[in-house]
Amino acid sequence: MTAPVIAPVLATGDVAVHFGGIKAVDGIDLALATGEILGILGPNGSGKSTLLAAVTRLVPLTRGRLTLDGADYTTAPPHRLARRGIARTFQTVRLLGDLTVLENVQLGADLHAGRAARLRELVRRGAVPEVAAAVERTGIGDVLDRRPGELSYGTARRVEIARALAAQPRVLLLDEPTAGMNHSERREVADLLRRLRDEGLAQLLVEHDVQMMVDTCDRLFAMNEGVGIAEGAPADVVREPAVQRAYLGKAAHGAGDR
Amino acid sequence: MTTWLSSHAVLVQSTLVSLLLALSIQVPLRAGVFSFAGVGSYAIGAYAAAIMTIRLQVAPVFAIGVGVVIAAVAGYLLALLVARLAGLYLGMATIAFALFLGVVAVNGGELTGGATGLYGAISTLTTGHVVAITGIVVLLLAVSERGAFGRRVDAVREDPQLAVSLGIDVGRVRRRVFVVSGALGACAGGMNSLLRTTVSPETIGFHLVVTALTMIIVGGALSWAGAAIGAVIFTWLPTVLQFVGDWQPVVYGVLVALAAVYMPTGLLGVAQSAWRRARRRGLPADEQDRPQADDPERALAALQEARP
Repeated sequence: MTAPVIAPVLATGDVAVHFGGIKAVDGIDLALATGEILGILGPNGSGKSTLLAAVTRLVPLTRGRLTLDGADYTTAPPHRLARRGIARTFQTVRLLGDLTVLENVQLGADLHAGRAARLRELVRRGAVPEVAAAVERTGIGDVLDRRPGELSYGTARRVEIARALAAQPRVLLLDEPTAGMNHSERREVADLLRRLRDEGLAQLLVEHDVQMMVDTCDRLFAMNEGVGIAEGAPADVVREPAVQRAYLGKAAHGAGDR
Repeated sequence: MTTWLSSHAVLVQSTLVSLLLALSIQVPLRAGVFSFAGVGSYAIGAYAAAIMTIRLQVAPVFAIGVGVVIAAVAGYLLALLVARLAGLYLGMATIAFALFLGVVAVNGGELTGGATGLYGAISTLTTGHVVAITGIVVLLLAVSERGAFGRRVDAVREDPQLAVSLGIDVGRVRRRVFVVSGALGACAGGMNSLLRTTVSPETIGFHLVVTALTMIIVGGALSWAGAAIGAVIFTWLPTVLQFVGDWQPVVYGVLVALAAVYMPTGLLGVAQSAWRRARRRGLPADEQDRPQADDPERALAALQEARP
C-alpha cells in the first residue's frame, strides 16, 4: 500500500457500549477522513445508532477512546461537541413544532452567535450567512415561514440536514437521512451529500437502503451484533459472505422460520 | 389615568405581585422545568423585606433586593440538589421546599414573629415603584423570549437531547432558570410585604402554588403574556364575581377545569393560533394550498425510472 496516510478527522478506538449484559457496541475501530463518506451498514439492532450515540457522547462508553483531529474527547461533555465541529441528524424528525422552518435552521447556527450577534438579531430581522447557505444547499427556501407540521416528510428531513449544516460542522453524522423518502428525494439527498463531501465535509452515514449506500459512500463499514464484520470499498463489502449472512440470517429470522 | 390608578391602587398592586409570582413558575416551565421553587422564594422575599424594613429601616428597594439575592442563591443551590429530578418528582420536591420555608417561618421565634408573623413593615414603596419594577422585569423576560435565546430555551423544553446536540448546556440553562425563578418570586414576596406592611405564615402558604398555577394554566404557560393574562383575570375576577357570593370557588374551579381541558395552551395560545390562521388567509391562493404531501404521479414516475 503506497496510499498516503491521511490523519482521520474522527476516530474511534475499541469503542464499546454495554447496557447491562447486552453488548450493543463491542470494540469498534473507525477512522473517518476529511472529504469522505463512510457508510455504516448492518441489519436492525446491529448497534449502528448506539455507535452514533457513543460518538456524540449521548451514551457513556463502557470502554474505548474517541478522538477528533487527534484530540481525545472521550470524556468531553456532549454539548461541547457542536462547537468542536460535530453535527448530527436523528433517526426520527426532531424539529421544534412551534418554530418556523427558518427558526429551526437558525437553531443550528445560534451556537456561533456571540452576545453581540444575538442582540443585533433582536432589532434586525434576517438570517446570518451560514443559515442562508444551509437553506440554499438543501433547497428549502420556499418553506421558510412554514411550521414543521405542514411539511412533507421528505422536506422535514431536509430541514434537519439544513439545521445540522448551519452549525458549519466538519463532521456530519447522519442517522437514516432518507428514511421515508421517495426515490427522487433520496437521489437529491445523495447528490447533496456527495457535493458536501467534495467540499471537504466528513460524513458518517447510517442508512438502510443498501443501494443508496453503495452509490453514495466512499467506504463501507459493516457491523452485526455490535462488532465490525467487514470494511472497504462498498461493492466489495456488500458481496462479503459475512455481510450477506448477517442480512440473510435476519431475513430468515424475520420471516419466522423458527 | 392617575385618578383611576389611585382608586384601584390595591387591585393594581395585587395584579402585579401575582404576575411576578406567576412568572416565577412560568419561567421554569418555559425551559421544561416543573418547579414551584418560586413560591418558596416568595416566602424568602416576603420575610427578608419585612425583617430588613422593621429592624434596619433600609430603603424598600434595598429591603426587596436582599431577599432577591438570598432567593437567587437558594435557587441555585436547590437546582444543584434536584438536578437529577424531572417532571412530577421535581414538582413535589420544590413544593416541599416551599412548605419547609413555611415551617421555618412559624418556628423562627422573634426573627419571623412565629405564627402571628411580622407587623409594621412601613416603607416608602409606592404603586409607581411596583409598576416600574414589574415593567422592567416583564421587558427583560419579553426580550429573552425572542431571537437565539428564546429558540434555545424552546429547544431545551421540547427536546433536551436535541438541544445538547445543538451545543446547548441543558444543565446550565436549568440552573439559571432556578436562579431567575428565585429572584422573581422573592421580588413578588418582598413587594407584597411592604405594600401590606405585614407578613405571616398564612400569606406564604400552599394557596400561592394554586394561585400561580391557575393563572398560568388559564393564561398560557409559554410566554410572559400568558402569565399576565392570568394575573389580570384572577385578580379582577373576584370583584366581577361578587354577585355569585359563596359560589365563587365553584366558578373558579369550573373555569380552570374548562381551560385545562379545552385550551391546553391557555388563552394566549388560542389567540396566537387565531392570529396565525388570519394571516394564512391573507396569503395568495396558490401559496395556501400547495400540495405538500408527495405527489403520487411523481412517485410512480420515479419508481419506473429507478434502478438502471
